Amino acid sequence: MARLNDDAQWIVLMGFIVSFALFFLAIVVNQSTVVGQTTAEGVIEFPKNDIIDVRNEILFSSGIVNPTNLTDVKNDISSIGLARKMAIISFNATPAPPGSSYKNVILIHYNNGVTAYNETANY
Amino acid sequence: MVNSDGQLFTIEGISAGLIMLLTAYIVVNTTSIYTPGDTHISDMQLEQLGSDALRLMNTPNTSATSAESSLQKIIINNDTAQFSNTFLWFCNSTTSGTNDNLQFTADLYYRDKNTNSVNKIHLTQTRNLIGGEHPVRVTEWVHLNSNGQVPVNNREQAVLVEVLLWRD
Amino acid sequence: MLDDQGNLSIDFLAGMTIFMIALIWISTMVPGLLITLQGKTIDYDAVAYRTGAILVEDPGWPASPPWDNLNDLQKGDIQRFGLSITKDTPNVLSLHKINRFFCSTAFSYPSDYQSRLIFSNFQYLFNISLSTFDRTINESLGDVKPDGYGHIRRYIKIKYPSNTTILAPNYLNSGVSGGLSDNTTTHVFSVQLNCTQLIWDETNVAYQINPLTEQIMVNISNLNNACIFNPCPPNLISLSSIKIYRQNPSQPFGQVREYLSSDPQFNVYIDGSNTPLPALDPPSVNVNNNVSVIFSPGFFFGMASDSSQMYVNYTFTLANPDNFFNNTFTTPYHYDYNPVRVTQPLLKEGVLEVAVW
Repeated sequence: MARLNDDAQWIVLMGFIVSFALFFLAIVVNQSTVVGQTTAEGVIEFPKNDIIDVRNEILFSSGIVNPTNLTDVKNDISSIGLARKMAIISFNATPAPPGSSYKNVILIHYNNGVTAYNETANY
Repeated sequence: MVNSDGQLFTIEGISAGLIMLLTAYIVVNTTSIYTPGDTHISDMQLEQLGSDALRLMNTPNTSATSAESSLQKIIINNDTAQFSNTFLWFCNSTTSGTNDNLQFTADLYYRDKNTNSVNKIHLTQTRNLIGGEHPVRVTEWVHLNSNGQVPVNNREQAVLVEVLLWRD
Repeated sequence: MLDDQGNLSIDFLAGMTIFMIALIWISTMVPGLLITLQGKTIDYDAVAYRTGAILVEDPGWPASPPWDNLNDLQKGDIQRFGLSITKDTPNVLSLHKINRFFCSTAFSYPSDYQSRLIFSNFQYLFNISLSTFDRTINESLGDVKPDGYGHIRRYIKIKYPSNTTILAPNYLNSGVSGGLSDNTTTHVFSVQLNCTQLIWDETNVAYQINPLTEQIMVNISNLNNACIFNPCPPNLISLSSIKIYRQNPSQPFGQVREYLSSDPQFNVYIDGSNTPLPALDPPSVNVNNNVSVIFSPGFFFGMASDSSQMYVNYTFTLANPDNFFNNTFTTPYHYDYNPVRVTQPLLKEGVLEVAVW
């Protein structure tokens, strides 16, 4: 049976302490990078700019008077949105009730599979 | 005949090896540091920058009822040089110090009413995207009125400007 | 036989194995223990992004009346800085909000900004700079940037408010209602702000003239060419009062304000002076050529609503009777969306940078 050689125990102990300290430090650093990564990914994943942009276009388009043009633009938005933005986008504008301070009530629907956005806008 | 002496030493050796491997695995696993590139932070900044630049180009400076935005004018006149100038001017400017240096390639997507297909017109680019470069995609909806030289069908329509943006 | 010194005993091996398994088990739980520790090194960029988004896409709080109408003593009521005009106009910023935000006498760096803009338990330091592309605005606040800061750059448009310049010789009353009868010493000129029309005729707030929340500026110039004997003799013209009248559907027409002394929100400048007229009490003030009135954002907020008509009436007194700048017998001067009369709101491109460390 091998005997335990008890020479230089302090060196071994110090080695253990230093390695454990490094180990815990590594975990802390690791966590902080995850904060930055999840934020950046969250920002990129969430289509904030897409929604702001398409919302602007929809609010502007809701003022189109000619019904043929309105249908055309609606089809433009949904076709291009599906082809390029991988999102289902649709809207429907109805005239506001009399006496309102806005012209139309617009239902906006946006869904890119991860984020769904629905709004009833008064414009 | 095989000598059976030292069996314990062999088992010890194997066990010690396993423990060392396991420790090495844990250490490597927890200490791998993400570089800023891995964290997509620069992508986030670029995407915001490009979206802002396009949004600015699509906002006229005076009353919306009569004025066209510079992006609308560019599409109607097919003025790709102007697109390049304005876009780079917007997304390279800084408050102080040296200006940025970004590369882009821009396309215009529209719907052909007759075939109901979405088609592309290449607008302009600073240079080709080469392998290994990692661009971000930014887009802007542009509303075109029927009185201009609209890409197709000459009608009031919504088109999408798509820009791939990357840093050298 | 070989020397077996330096080998581990089986007891130690067994103990170490159990210890390692326990360590692995515990180490998987460590992140939960460390959740209260802030990993701030790499989230600088995330904080900068959030700060930039608040500044550029948010109108701030309170929103109505906007926070920039609060004076320095009321700054405790400001909950959140945000520079955009409304939430529907991201990237379009209000000039007055920018001026208030970068005002170093009103807000102190960093404490006032940390609680209203950065929002964090950790006391981040920051540098925010904003300039227009033509460099007419070049503002910044905060410390010098050290190495390793997180940053974001945003592109913006700044809305410059409207103003009007009235050329006095174009508004003489001579001949309007019978020549000499108008040859008097007292002349009144009226400027009308039709809030209903201003607010509902242009629904896009980026281009709207909104007297309730924006600066309104009326310049009257070339007064000394507005007499029969052109130019007017010296010391002929004096301004005796500027009064503001209101007409509401539910309230009778009446005076709501008069310029008695200089006021932070209501200032009169005579003949291109840089300092506001200190007082306009009964002794009237001599005027050579021009009178400018600036109503700061929020001046009309308390006294008018979107259904009010506001009138700014100037009363001029002449030393000798003359036909002069006067529109009491015709229609008031409309402050409206006609670009011939009123310089319309204008947007200017700029860039905003946020650095956080």
